Formats: sequence, C-alpha cells, structure tokens
Amino acid sequence: MSQNNSDKDDQTSTSKKTISLPISRVKLIMKSSPDVSSINQDALFLTTKATELFVQHLALSSFNNGAGKESNTLSYSDLAHTAEETETFHFLTDILPKKIFARDYLKSLEQMQEEEGDF
Amino acid sequence: MASSSGNDDDLTIPRAAINKMIKETLPNVRVANDARELVVNCCTEFIHLISSEANEICNKSDKKTISPEHVINALESLGFASYITEVKDVLQECKTVALKRRKASSRLENLGIPEEELLRQQQELFAKARQQQAELAQQEWLQMQQAAQQAQMAAASASATQQAGSSQDEDEEDDM
Repeated sequence: MSQNNSDKDDQTSTSKKTISLPISRVKLIMKSSPDVSSINQDALFLTTKATELFVQHLALSSFNNGAGKESNTLSYSDLAHTAEETETFHFLTDILPKKIFARDYLKSLEQMQEEEGDF
Repeated sequence: MASSSGNDDDLTIPRAAINKMIKETLPNVRVANDARELVVNCCTEFIHLISSEANEICNKSDKKTISPEHVINALESLGFASYITEVKDVLQECKTVALKRRKASSRLENLGIPEEELLRQQQELFAKARQQQAELAQQEWLQMQQAAQQAQMAAASASATQQAGSSQDEDEEDDM
C-alpha cells in the first residue's frame, strides 16, 4: 500500500504517527464480518491503527501481569490469563481454549467411558 | 503461508507484521511460538469485534457506510476509549500526507501548458536527439576512415623509406 511504503522513512522517528499493519488485509477481514457492507477509507485507517494499539496493549498487559516477567518471557498462558482477568479482553476467551495436559484428557475420557458403561 | 482452504475465516494479519510489533513493544523478551500465533488470531477477533459494533452503530444512524465516527463510538463502547486520541492523530497525519501528495501531483499537471503543446515539444526534442545521434555517428565514421587512411599511408612510407635507404648505399660505393 502506498501509505506504508512512502512512510518507511518516517517510521523510525514518528512510528506513532504511521500505520505499519497492511490496510488492505484489515479491510478484507472487516468485510468478512457478517452484514458489514461498505467502509469509509478513513474508518479503515482508524480500525487499522486501533488494531496496532490492541496488539501493543495485549502484549504489554500480558507480559506485565504474567508469570514470565522475571524470566523475560511471554507464554501462551500469560495471554490466556490476561484475557480472563481483564474485562476488555474477555471477548478473546472464545478463541482461547484452555490447554490441558494429555493425561488429564485421557483421565476424563476414561471417566466418560465408564459412565457410558454403566447404562 | 498460503491458505489452502481460501476460507474467509482464515484471513489473518501476516505473522511477520505481528512479530515485528511484538518485538518493538517487548524488546528482549522471548515470546513463545504458540503465543505469537495466538496474538495473530486475537487481532482478527479484535477487528471483527470493532467491525460488528461499528456496523451496528452505523445501521442505527442514517448512513450506509461505516464512518470514522462510528468506529470511534465503537471503540468507546467496547472499552477501548484509551485508543481514541492516538487513533485520531494518525488519521490526521494520513490525511495530511495524502493531501500533500495530491497537491504535488496537481502542481505538475497545472504548469499551464496544454497537452498538445507538450506533445509537440516532446516530438521536437526527439527529432533533435535523433539528429544529434546521426551527426555523432557520421563523425565517428569519418574519423575511422581517416585513421584507416593514415595507417595505410604510414605503412606505405615505411616500406618506401626502407627501399630508399638501400639504394643510397649503392650510390655511395660508386662515387669512391
């Protein structure tokens, strides 16, 4: 997108003022939302920048509240944890299946089979 | 990473862009791969969230197209009001850049010379250039010819001098 390319020189000094995510991709994703028909170009810029801020916000929040802070790492569970704790990130819980250990899964599977066997 | 299914739901922001942003936000932090993948998917989810909300707000108004105002209201109602100031700033910046670009290109277009005149000038310049090229080629050809002639003459006089030298010796002997 011409916007991104021509602003490359400005990005190091004014990275807050430009957009680094691909605007065309954001547009595609928006249009794949049900019922969304047309989007004004300026509205598209706003959404793209908001998405960038979201990534920064999510990463920072998860890191600062996460277990990996002392070891300077960010893990999946840090993200999942933040999504559950922070209200504005609640919408993410749908796509955050809680990871369970294989042995726990097998255990619950066994339990289900036993229950079925009782009938 | 091409999506094999071509499903709308597989649309995501490119991984590289996300990685870059994470690196800039959390420099020197090791981020697990599955965490990165999760961020990519969270982005898509966020975009859907904002789009749906903005769309609803848009439907309630008389407009058919989602406007910046609708997006801002959506951010506010979804708890992302803290993004609004920065997001508005960027919009202003984008508009300014676009305006500058339009001004620059229209300045070029409006030199005041009509298109036919510009075409005529262009043809003139081409004709001039062709002529210069032809003259240059002609000159080079002449120079080559002259050089060839000179070389021939030099070769001829060299052999003549040799012959002249040997006959002189004979004369001297006779005089003694």
